[in-house]
Amino acid sequence: MADKKHKNSLPVYLLTGIFLLILCIAVCIGILIRPYEKAQTYLNILFMDQNMKISPSSGLNGLVIKENNIETTPVSDIPVEEQHFYDTGEIIRPSFGEQYAVLKCDDISLSVPVYWGSTAELLERGACQASSSAVLGETGNVVIDAHVNTFFADLGRLETGNTVVLYTSYGIFTYEVSEKIEFLNTNKKYVLPTEDDRLTLYTCEAQVLGTSDNRTGVVCTLVSKQFYNPAEGANP
Amino acid sequence: MTKIKLYIPKIILTFLLIFLLAGTELTLLVQNKALTYKTFETITVQQALDEKAYSTLESYFKSRANSTGIPAEVYLNAVTQEDMKQGILSGVSEAVRQMHSPADGYAITMDFTELETSVTEFFTQYADTNNIQKDETFRQKVQANLEEAEAKILAVADTFRFGTIYEHGWFAKLRLFLNLFQKLMIILCIATAVILLCLIFCCRSRFSELFYWLGLTALISGLLICVPCLYVLLTDYFSAFVVKDLQIYSAVTGYLQYITKQTAFTSGITALLGAGSLIIFSIIQKKQTTAD
Repeated sequence: MADKKHKNSLPVYLLTGIFLLILCIAVCIGILIRPYEKAQTYLNILFMDQNMKISPSSGLNGLVIKENNIETTPVSDIPVEEQHFYDTGEIIRPSFGEQYAVLKCDDISLSVPVYWGSTAELLERGACQASSSAVLGETGNVVIDAHVNTFFADLGRLETGNTVVLYTSYGIFTYEVSEKIEFLNTNKKYVLPTEDDRLTLYTCEAQVLGTSDNRTGVVCTLVSKQFYNPAEGANP
Repeated sequence: MTKIKLYIPKIILTFLLIFLLAGTELTLLVQNKALTYKTFETITVQQALDEKAYSTLESYFKSRANSTGIPAEVYLNAVTQEDMKQGILSGVSEAVRQMHSPADGYAITMDFTELETSVTEFFTQYADTNNIQKDETFRQKVQANLEEAEAKILAVADTFRFGTIYEHGWFAKLRLFLNLFQKLMIILCIATAVILLCLIFCCRSRFSELFYWLGLTALISGLLICVPCLYVLLTDYFSAFVVKDLQIYSAVTGYLQYITKQTAFTSGITALLGAGSLIIFSIIQKKQTTAD
């Protein structure tokens, strides 16, 4: 009788184990999808410049990429006596493929080099500014984009009121996020030149499979322009 | 009915215990293995990173000699494989320091005195032979050449890409994680003890069953970590990584493989202990059945 009882409980023990194993695997998959994507983003950023593939047919022949060492000390960290900024100043127009700015946003721990011009190769290295948009310091729409699986992975976390700072070799430009945007890649509304000073940051909508036609991003309004060198007749 | 009443809590407790055990195991591994100087040092030696870094430098300076006319020996005779090893380890030690306490700037320390002498001597000799005036412009050119060579050597010595990690501000994030890990460790230990006590309480009427639930916990928790690790190791997953520089490729894949092996080993032991516990349970069951 007891042996029969033991035999009867064996399937229960076995099924309990299998049930728990399946349950745990399902939970693990559910929990780990997001960190896996995040880890992949970090790996992509870390080795982007290591695994670039340039094919002769890519049409990128002749592209000269220039890296610049741009000072990114926040204004608040610069001693007051050394803060010699000007409201208007000399703008140094970058050449195509040149890294001419560093985009920083402490609210989402974002720090990314910005290249002038937008090509697949430059997007591998950082964020790209459309050469049809306004150069930082000029009046107009500064349009910057980057891949969602690398540098702009956290762009969606930007909230209205967050501060975005762009450091260049000729000045510091501070913006405040004023609007979160979503648009189709065929809709040029947000990337067209504007009369006012604004910064538009956008990237693809994150999708697990394939690429998306939707773009997400933010529009920022200018808070301050701080030039290192004065324009003629300007006051500090 | 009473059995069902106790059976469901036991399943819930075991389910929680599985993740607590896995969490404790992984936290311990991260704290004691993944980010320690010793681990990086072991990989440096195992993967002969100094040799690979030196060979990268050799090919760089040799190919550069064609365009600059400066013989590769000017640089290579002044930097040895041992210097590269010292550079790599200095980078590691600086990175480990950055992971544990905030510090200004990340820099690899290498002694370039010999390189400075060698480069200066070459340029001076060249200037003397070709009657070039050793003025300020000449000195600036020597300095620029020296700085470029030093930057290249330091970049090659940064095999684990700590420089990039620092530039992106990830050390600060790592510090935050490591601080959290210490707190997490305490929380995990307390939670494990509490759940274990609850499980013992649930098995008080049939104590031998504790072997079954604990065995199941250890076996599943071990398998959950061990199987993916074994898959990664057996399929040689990391070898498929595309990294251009050999020394960086070896450092990164070597590191990932080392950590995966350690994780597979630890979780494998946990799974074996679990299997052992289940065997003990089945023996006890059998004995009890025979006695009845």
